[in-house]
Amino acid sequence: MATTIGRLDGANLNGGQKLAVKYFFVAMILFGAQILFGMVAGLQYLKPDLFYGVLDFSVNRMVHVNAMIVWMLYGFIGSVYWMLEEESQHEVVGLKLGNLIFYVLTAAVTVVVLVYLFVQIGPGEQSSIWLINEGREYIEAPRWADIGIVVSVLVFFYNVAATFSKGKYTGIAGVLVLDLLALFGIYFAGMFYTTNISIDQYWWWWVIHLWVEATWEVLVACIMAYGLMKVLGVRRKIVETWLYIEVALMFGSGILGLGHHYFWIGTPEYWFTIGGLFSALEPIPLVAMVVHAVFDAGAKHIKNSNHPAMAWLIAHAFGNFFGAGVWGFMHTLPQINLYTHGTQWSASHGHLAFFGAYATIIIAVFYLAMQQWRGKVWMAGDLPGNGWKWKWALGLLNMGMVGMTVALLISGYEQSQIERAIGGSTWMGYFAAQAHPWFMQGMWWREVFGTMFAAGFVILMWDLWSIGKHETRPMQVAASQE
Amino acid sequence: MIEPASLANFFTIFFSAAMVIMLGALYALLFAYSRLKHDPRLMPVAYLSYIGLFVATLFLADAANLLKHPLWPVIVVLMLVGYLLAPHAIWHLCVGTHAEEQENTELLPSKNL
Amino acid sequence: MATNQWWASESFWRKTAIWVTGVSLIVLMILTVDTLPQISAGSKRVPAYSVINYRIDYVFDETRNVQAPVIGVKEPLFGKELSEAEAEALVAHGKLTVQAKNCMGCHTLLGNGAYYAPDLTKAWLDQYWGSKEVREELMVDFIKDPSNKLHNSIGRRMPKLAVTDDEAHAVVAFLKWMSSIDTNGFPYNFKPIEQEN
Repeated sequence: MATTIGRLDGANLNGGQKLAVKYFFVAMILFGAQILFGMVAGLQYLKPDLFYGVLDFSVNRMVHVNAMIVWMLYGFIGSVYWMLEEESQHEVVGLKLGNLIFYVLTAAVTVVVLVYLFVQIGPGEQSSIWLINEGREYIEAPRWADIGIVVSVLVFFYNVAATFSKGKYTGIAGVLVLDLLALFGIYFAGMFYTTNISIDQYWWWWVIHLWVEATWEVLVACIMAYGLMKVLGVRRKIVETWLYIEVALMFGSGILGLGHHYFWIGTPEYWFTIGGLFSALEPIPLVAMVVHAVFDAGAKHIKNSNHPAMAWLIAHAFGNFFGAGVWGFMHTLPQINLYTHGTQWSASHGHLAFFGAYATIIIAVFYLAMQQWRGKVWMAGDLPGNGWKWKWALGLLNMGMVGMTVALLISGYEQSQIERAIGGSTWMGYFAAQAHPWFMQGMWWREVFGTMFAAGFVILMWDLWSIGKHETRPMQVAASQE
Repeated sequence: MIEPASLANFFTIFFSAAMVIMLGALYALLFAYSRLKHDPRLMPVAYLSYIGLFVATLFLADAANLLKHPLWPVIVVLMLVGYLLAPHAIWHLCVGTHAEEQENTELLPSKNL
Repeated sequence: MATNQWWASESFWRKTAIWVTGVSLIVLMILTVDTLPQISAGSKRVPAYSVINYRIDYVFDETRNVQAPVIGVKEPLFGKELSEAEAEALVAHGKLTVQAKNCMGCHTLLGNGAYYAPDLTKAWLDQYWGSKEVREELMVDFIKDPSNKLHNSIGRRMPKLAVTDDEAHAVVAFLKWMSSIDTNGFPYNFKPIEQEN
């Protein structure tokens, strides 16, 4: 092993990890696509004739949000494969099938994106929904792809469950397997057509909310639990107890937190109180993390062997807290959500929450993966150039995101007043708000900070490609316990 | 069931809601830090944060017309009590769950994982 | 300090996690069973598709303190009264068209979707269509080819999406039906088109 230090060498990875880095590679490409199409869509707010009739806003926006969902799922699947062999202490069961499915899934994603870009829309018939796109935000993927996704994911689920069953079935394994089962089971709720838009949206929110505010959070908590043991050497028993505590708090507040999406889609009024109550509870798991993190920081003498990964984990903690916690609660009560629902407010919250809660932690895993791939190489302080690349990438991506979030917030604030409260959400009210200087300036600043974000992404890719190259120092000893 | 907020109260709602969450976290942070470092001087600052949270919650409740309808005042009270007690409960949990570790490390300092 | 308090033990929290998740799911199931009939087509909150045979208005409800849809006199869409089955077929075609053209890529429906174009929840009642006499045909025309129509002062336009005449009629039917859904007062302060004669 020592001979391969500083070079990318498959011998440094176990079977699951070799598959994981393939998923990470595609995830990075899709992350880039997300940014690219987001910037084009953002530019269309400023230059409405740009690509008009060729690559309309609806197409760019669809690719923007779909690329995000898929790259994050790829990041999650990769992370699970990454930890699978070490956690279960067993080789991945059915790895060949897992590899095959990776290529099948990636080919399917490619076809879906090409159809999005070049076919775009179809006639108002079932065939369009089966072959082109379903026209349902975030889960636009046509039905054939849905079925492909379900099959791929079943194989993934089999790999994970069978590996844990044959090896060690740890506490993390138990949570992970059940969470994956729920995560993929929920996807079925988005796989049918109905004329009734209220019922359509009722189940659509099951997919979107129960993914983003429940099962994804728990999946990330599993990755975190593994990471804490691995990177900081925290004791398994404690990590697993806290994983259960977080699951109880997240599912206890998150599952019925679904209610805050059922205010305005035709559903009965009792959802107001349910949504309001559980929204007020949703910050509790975040408070728990704050207290526990402080406690852990005091109880442990941390020697951190991967500075970029650690920095991204800290960004994750802050991003999750502000994006999901603060930005979520600011407009979640129905008394105010009546005016903010479906404005740039939602966009502001969505940007910060998805990035803060999920993009950050996947990037942290990318750094851990590169470290291992280059032969457990040094990634603590004293990196060449003082580690300027990862620091700039971190700074530009986070500042770019905060800038976009604030810009969208200002636009959304104006929109909630001019369009919603005064204009009554009519056609005229809508465009009065869109033409307002606050709105337009918000859109300009969003694009400026989006450019900053894109620059950060480029440096991030450069850094991931180059960090640890020609490095001769081995990884610092992970942690010392006190 | 609800009375929609009036335009004049929008800013109050956004601001006080943000303050509820941020002061809640600050209170939890200071509370935990004070206990951790055995520094009782920080505790009044922690509770000051909680008082700020309390006031912000009342502003929010008033601006969002939460006190005018049944059930919503219950949520306000739950928030006030819940955010007050949550850091205490979680601190106890931290101590409780780590108790074994501290004992073990004293007895068996070299045995990891 | 006593070790292994029952409330701090791994097994207690494992059981708690399972129970909390299970109970939450059961409550969600019960609520779902209660909600679904209330939002099925033909219910009080979500009217049957044949509602497109009637005038739909959006009026302030004093007791609920929000605006609510009101179903009025007979006013068949495109002047042709449809049976329940015919109405459902027409609205279904409209909904399929809305999905196939990815309307939610720019618009919001019931407030969900993208934010590049106006919310369509009450588009049927929008004053922008001028008068109720010309509204239906204007909407059909607009949906078929919006590229040369007046939109706004900022130059943002809807593209021509190869919508056929049948599809455009169906979309208008879908929009009319959607405007009859009781959305708890969303959108707020909406001033509907004049419909009294």
